[in-house]
Formats: sequence, structure tokens, C-alpha cells
Amino acid sequence: MGDKNVLVIGGGTAGLSAAVELANLGVHVELIEKSKFLGGHAIGYTCKAIENTCVKCGACMVEEKLQSAVFHPNINVLAASQVQNISQNNRFSANIRQESLVIDPEKCTNCGLCLNRCPMEGAILQGFSKNNHPFYAVNIKKCLYFKDRSCTICRDECPETAIDLDKKASEHTIEADAVLIAIGFQPFNPKDKPYGYGRFNNVVTGLDLERMLKQSGRVKKPSDNKLPQKIAFIQCVGSRDAKLNHLWCSKVCCGSALRMARLIKERQPKTEIAFFYMDVQTFGKDFEPFYREAQKDIRMIRAIPGDIYEMDDRRLKINFVNNSTHETKEEIVDLVVLSVGITPVEDIGTMSRIFKIGPDESGFLRTDHNGVFTAGTVQGPMSIPETIANSGSVAWKIKKYIDGLTIDD
Amino acid sequence: MKKQTLILGNGPCAVAVAENLLTVGSKIIIATKDDVGGFIGYADSEDLQILTETRLVSCQGSVGNFRIEATQNNKSVTIDAGRIIIAEEDQRTSNFSRYGLKASSNVIPLSRMKILLNDTSPEESVLSEIKKVIFLTGIVKESTPVIANEVMESSLLLQKEFNIQTYILTKNLKVAGDGLESLYRETKNAGTIYIKFTDSLPGIYQEEDTIRIEFVDEITSRNFRLTPDMTVVDETIVASPYLTDLTKIFHIEADADGFVQADNVHRYPVLTNRKGIMVTGPSRGILTDDDQRIDAENAALAVTGLAEEEMETKLEKAEIHSEKCIQCLNCYHLCPHHAITLNERVEVEPDACEGCGICTANCLGGAIRIKNLNLQAILHQIKTGDVAQAEQTFTPLLVAFCCSRSAVQARELALCMGHELPLGLKVIQVPCAGAISYDHIFAVLKNGADGIMLLTCHKGNCHSERGNIFAGQVVKLIKGIFSIIGFEKERLSIQTLASNMGTEFSWITNRFEKTIAALGPSRLMKNQWPENQRRPNMKGNTG
Repeated sequence: MGDKNVLVIGGGTAGLSAAVELANLGVHVELIEKSKFLGGHAIGYTCKAIENTCVKCGACMVEEKLQSAVFHPNINVLAASQVQNISQNNRFSANIRQESLVIDPEKCTNCGLCLNRCPMEGAILQGFSKNNHPFYAVNIKKCLYFKDRSCTICRDECPETAIDLDKKASEHTIEADAVLIAIGFQPFNPKDKPYGYGRFNNVVTGLDLERMLKQSGRVKKPSDNKLPQKIAFIQCVGSRDAKLNHLWCSKVCCGSALRMARLIKERQPKTEIAFFYMDVQTFGKDFEPFYREAQKDIRMIRAIPGDIYEMDDRRLKINFVNNSTHETKEEIVDLVVLSVGITPVEDIGTMSRIFKIGPDESGFLRTDHNGVFTAGTVQGPMSIPETIANSGSVAWKIKKYIDGLTIDD
Repeated sequence: MKKQTLILGNGPCAVAVAENLLTVGSKIIIATKDDVGGFIGYADSEDLQILTETRLVSCQGSVGNFRIEATQNNKSVTIDAGRIIIAEEDQRTSNFSRYGLKASSNVIPLSRMKILLNDTSPEESVLSEIKKVIFLTGIVKESTPVIANEVMESSLLLQKEFNIQTYILTKNLKVAGDGLESLYRETKNAGTIYIKFTDSLPGIYQEEDTIRIEFVDEITSRNFRLTPDMTVVDETIVASPYLTDLTKIFHIEADADGFVQADNVHRYPVLTNRKGIMVTGPSRGILTDDDQRIDAENAALAVTGLAEEEMETKLEKAEIHSEKCIQCLNCYHLCPHHAITLNERVEVEPDACEGCGICTANCLGGAIRIKNLNLQAILHQIKTGDVAQAEQTFTPLLVAFCCSRSAVQARELALCMGHELPLGLKVIQVPCAGAISYDHIFAVLKNGADGIMLLTCHKGNCHSERGNIFAGQVVKLIKGIFSIIGFEKERLSIQTLASNMGTEFSWITNRFEKTIAALGPSRLMKNQWPENQRRPNMKGNTG
């Protein structure tokens, strides 16, 4: 035992879950994550419990997996790291480049002074979990020091001298018996949809709303930080869309959006909520009563809006066609939430080249051959509980493979 | 020495579990209440034994050492197993009554249609006479992707192989499954007509052999009347009634629909409230074939994983001091993990105990101890003098009993996020709020707390199933006592949190501080303090 090594690429829900399962079986795991914070998209998701009752969104499970992974003696984590290339000669040999972490995790106490003192918005990033350590990271794309060396405030003021702006990137070589690709998904970018995302401040995505609720517990209009009186959710943005050739349902958006809508109704009861949809998908075992309650508080409109305009007072005018009358109708709201779909992540291209495996017709990646495996939403849309189950099953397959119990066809 | 694993069931999921375990050399025994089913062709060997027509009766012991009594053709058999995996098949009920229909030769359930379509000779099939088929699905009650998949696949075959015009009448088409949106497009291209209802419902009339369906189409606003040659009614997937027996035999939780496994995210995918008992596929919910295979692998993983860690654990376990035990059996009835056994004495099975402490809080004899719940150790953490008092303002001493898995984590996140927490907040970590007894609360009050909070997990998210509910009951009763004796009941509060709720942790604790500051110092303390050390009683001043 203990002499087998697995390289897990991606530190989101899938990568963390699979890593923990393998590590529990005594397998050594090298986990690399592209971003500076582990946990993937889902670590930014809010708990959606209402009436003191869990609604089974699974967000807290990601927190739990992250905690298990970072403290596991069999898991070694490299954040801000990417695979440069991999060769396979019986075992895998991977060259990894780790971007400079700038903030020394050994010294940082998460006091937050760097963020408070930084003059450049967005140059110091904040984590989402207490297990994101350090809780802060320097964004070299925004940091003035990396632009023109004009600012060293964070370094100078850090009471722990934890910040080294000149720290260099490092190279690592990892030998592994199997590789797991768990690079997750790309939230659909709605900027090309006629909904004004990126142009109108008060049009946000479902993921933006998740993070807003996790961060501040309330939903506010980005334009003026005030509470919105009226919110519209628009479903299936980038999913079930033949024009985009996205012939899949993203599975998770109905659950996420309706649960958040009910959470908002509980915390900000005066908010009116309209919900534009095609078909409401079943989520969770208690879907039927949950949906019945939701319909009492939330105005369900079975239509997908054509476009959205910003009015002079920054309110948003949504145009849609009423199904039964065929009339064009309008809905005026303060905030629009676009339930953006799960789409294949760009890095699937890189992985396809490195491992010589092609994506499926939708562009997602699925394999369990020759020591290369995929888990989680890189395979296609999955909820958090589904991702955890999928990752457990893949961990089992990897274990059988490295123990020589798999017959490859 | 690793014991064999018992698998219950004879369907595809049970077979998948068995296959996975056999691959890694585990010894298995299969017990099915029916015939061999999917295990046809499997022969008994050193690693495999199959017991057919075998129903379980009782189960003693705990993880690693289960002893199961069963009956096989009226004879009793005993099975020893280290782990148990439940993989019983689900069942189906036809939804005729939902649509006001009665089964007849031209009104059939979905399963029957699937059989007709599998008929080897399409020319001789009863379907060869038919021109128009209607599927009714998810109209009165919501459906699932598993059923939607079967409806759409059947419809596609009817269109393509039999040249039959199909209609699918539904409310919300459930396409949240792999490939279902593509399948939906394919059926539409093949000619299936979808009629979706939002607020209205179709009128369905059955007269002798004819079915008439009348509705206003929501897209065209026109009245329609359909008279199909055959009407296919969808089905509801329900739990096997045998699972009700198994939940009693094993003392495991079930969901509202009778599937084994409480609807609790911490049990996903295959765990139950009892260590060493796993539940897969059609025994835990409505799952696709792919998801059932995934479950089988997770169950195999859980069996192997448990074997690896074999009884090694750092948890504090409950200990019963038998000289104090008055055999009230509260521990036996309340333990969420069924880790208390009744032999000559009441005993804790250390391997099954998860250290939640619910037994200690409810032990009438005070006979159960868990080290980290020791009252003296807890009181040691609370000293009134710890809270620095400013000259003019009152800073209340707030004691928060926090669940280690939720509120403790939430507090750490709150601190990371830079939220300010009350100055006088003392956090006492407990394994589960269900471990908090009257003794804890009164002792802490007596020790100087101005306010006490129990910060526990949301309902349905408790690792100990109902620890949070028990905590709520304790709080309710003590508040009742407070009302009787005229003590402010606002000084005791219970709130729920999840591990990722840092912001909410700061809201809850700061709001509580405000409440308590407005009440002023606890009266219990006034007389115990020497005059010169007495804290300023600034009633109404929140500092």
C-alpha cells in the first residue's frame, strides 16, 4: 500500500471528492488546481436552507470535501498550477508549472490587511472557504506591481512579511500511475445573448447571485447596492438551445434558481419574483412539495424572453411573447438573474491534445481508458450530489486500474 | 480477518455490486427474497454464496460483526456478515386513477408498451393495427427523467418502426438527464407532437373502447379533440415494500416515500445512519441505470474503504458506567447510529459509535460519559472575568454551543471573511447539539453566562439525524421553565446554520448580543459578585 500515485487535475467538487476517496484507500494523490483557490465554482455557492430546513443543494458538501482534502495526509495540493505536458511510459510523468503564490501560506494569518490597503480594485482576491488558505491571493493581472512596479503597499504593510512580490513561478515533475481529469465546466457566457449581460449592471448570472448571497447574505442591485424590489430569473440561458447547438439540459439551474428565489423571499419578503422557464426540472426527493410552495410566492411565466432593455432609471424592461395571446408583453424589474448553463470548459481542448482523446458530440470529455479518467462536470452537467457520486465511482475504477484489476478492451 | 459482505437483492444493481466486489476478491453472500433473478449463471464458490427465497428476520451486532437471522422456505438460517449492502429493486404503480382512466386493451401502462415494443415480430404485434398513440405523463403530478426517457424512447420507436403518430401530453417535460434533450429533439423530428399544459388540464373521457381527450392548446389557443387508438399512461416508481421490513430490522432511516436512506446530503450517495450498512440504486431512490451502476461502485468503495480504516478512528466514544445505569433505555432508543446493544447489560458498540453524545444528554442515570462533553471541562472554558468590561457599557458573556460540523466551521469562515463577532462570545464546540442537556445549560447560566445559544445544523442536515431536533426540544422545555420562574427566556436561543454560512453566523451572534445587551446582565449573577467587581448594569445600552 501507499506506493501508488494518482495525479488529479482540478480541485473542484469532483477532483476533491475523488482525491479524498483515493486517499482514504491509501493511495497517494497529487492534486493540482489551476486557480489560486480550491473548491471550484461550487465553493462559492450559498447555503439555500429555508425555514431552518436543508433543501439539499449540496453546497455544504463541497466545503466538507475541501476540508477533508486539505488536511489529508495522503493528498498533496498544488494551487495555481497547470500541466505543461505529460508523457506516458507505463507510468505518467507530468511537468507542472506553478504560478507564483506571492502570499506565503506558512506565514499568512488571513488578517485581511492586504485587501484593506490595496489601492487597486480586484488586485487582491478573496477566497470562499476557511479552508482556502491563504484566504487572500494577489491577482497579477490587476496588481500595480506586476504592471509597472509602482506599488508595494501590501508587501510593506503585511505584519507577517508573508508577501513576496518577486517570488518566481516554479516547475514540478509528478510521476503518477493514473491521471484523473476533473477540470469542471465553463458557465455559459451570456454576453452574446440579447439580455445585456456585461452592459447592464443589474443583469447578473446565477453564479454571480450564488456568490453574492454567500458573501453578503442578501441580494442587492450591483448598480447602487440597494435591495431590488423586483427580480426576474431567466432559465435555460445557454442550455436547451438549438441555435447554439447546446442540445442538453444543464440539470442544475432549476434547482439552484428556485431554491435561491425562495431564500430571497424568506430574507427579503417584499421582493417580487418572476420566473421565466420552459419546463421546470425535478430536483431532489422533496421536489413536489417544494415546487408547490415556490409557486405560491413566485410568479411562474412559461416563456423565454426575447430581449432586455435598460431604462433611464436603470430598471430593466423584459420583452416576451405571451403564449396564449401571442401578444408581446413586458415585465419591468430591478434585477435580472440569468440561469447560465453548464458548457464544456476550454481546457478540454488541451486535455484532448495531451491525452489524445476526443470530446463527445456536445464537447464534453468522458474516458476511463489506459489510466486516464474523467470525473464530474467535465463529462457533462451534474449536480453537486451527482458529482460526488460520480467521483466516488471513478475513484473506485482508478483503484482497480492501479491495482492491475482492470482488463482494458 | 475480513468478513463476507451481504448483498440484498437480485436485480441489475445487486449484480453490479457483486461483480465489483468479486473483482477485488471480496467474499460475498447474496440473499434474495425471490429467485436467482440476475444471478442466473452464477455458481456458488468459495467467494460467493446465493440464498434464494430468503427473507431477513432480525439483525444483531454492528459493523464488522453483523449476525442476521433469516428464513428460507420456512427454515431459519443465520448469516454472518461484516458489511451489508441493500440493493433491492423498486416497483411501479400505474397512474390510471390520476387521469380518471381504467386499464383496458387500448389503455395500457408504460411498462406494457415497452414489452409490446420489444416484441420480436412487429408485423404480428398488436401495434400493427394502430395509427395514433397518446402518452400521458406528469400531468397531474410531476414526473421524473427516468420516466420521461422511457416515454420518449417508446414514442420514437412507434414513430420510426411502426409509423404510428404519437402525442406526448405533459406539464413539465423532464429532460434533466443525460441525452434527454437530444432525444426530445429526435422525437420531434421523427414526428412526435408535444402538447404541454401549464395552468389548464386536458379533459380525458373514457367510454367503452374509446378515449377522447379534449383541451385548449396553449400555443395556438385552439380547441383540440384527440381520439387515440391507444393511450399509454405513465407510472410512478415506488419503493419495494420489503424495504419497510429492512428499515425496522436494521434500524435505518427511510425517506418520506419509503426508500431507505434519509434524505440527508451527508449520506449521499450510499451511506445510511448505520456504519457498515450501505444502500444502492433502486433501494434509495429513483435512479437511471447509469446512476445505479455508479451507486454499485460507490458501495464497493465504501466496503473496501471501511475495511482499510478498519476500526481505527480518533472519535471520542461514549462509555457507559454500568454501576450508574438504571436501564431506562433512552440511549438504546435515541442513538441515531444504533450503537447501543442490550445484552446482560446496556453496552456501547465502540465501532458503531460516532460520538454524537445524544445518549449522554438523555441518560437518566447520568451513567454515560464522553470525554469532550464533560461538564467540568466545559465550565472551565467559561469565566465571567474573561469578558473585559468597559467603564460605561455592558458587554454580555454569550456562550454558544456550536455543532462541530456546522456552526464551528461557520464561525471560522466568519472570522476569515473579516466579520466582527461579539466581544463576549465564547464558543463551546460540541459534536452535536443533541448532546446538550439541561445540566449544561443551567451550569453555564450559573457560571456567569448572560445569554446561551445552541447553534446547530439545519433540519435534514444533521449527521446524527435528529440531534438538532432534540436540541430544539431541550430549549423549548427550558424556556417553559424560564417563563414559570420569571427568568427572561430571550437569554436562551437556538438557531440553525451550515458550515458555509460565515455571514449568517455573524448576523445571528451580533443580533443575539443586541438582545442580551438590552436585557442587561443576568440576574443570576448579581448576588454572586462582590460589590466592587459588579458589572455595570446598563439596561437598554447595547454598547
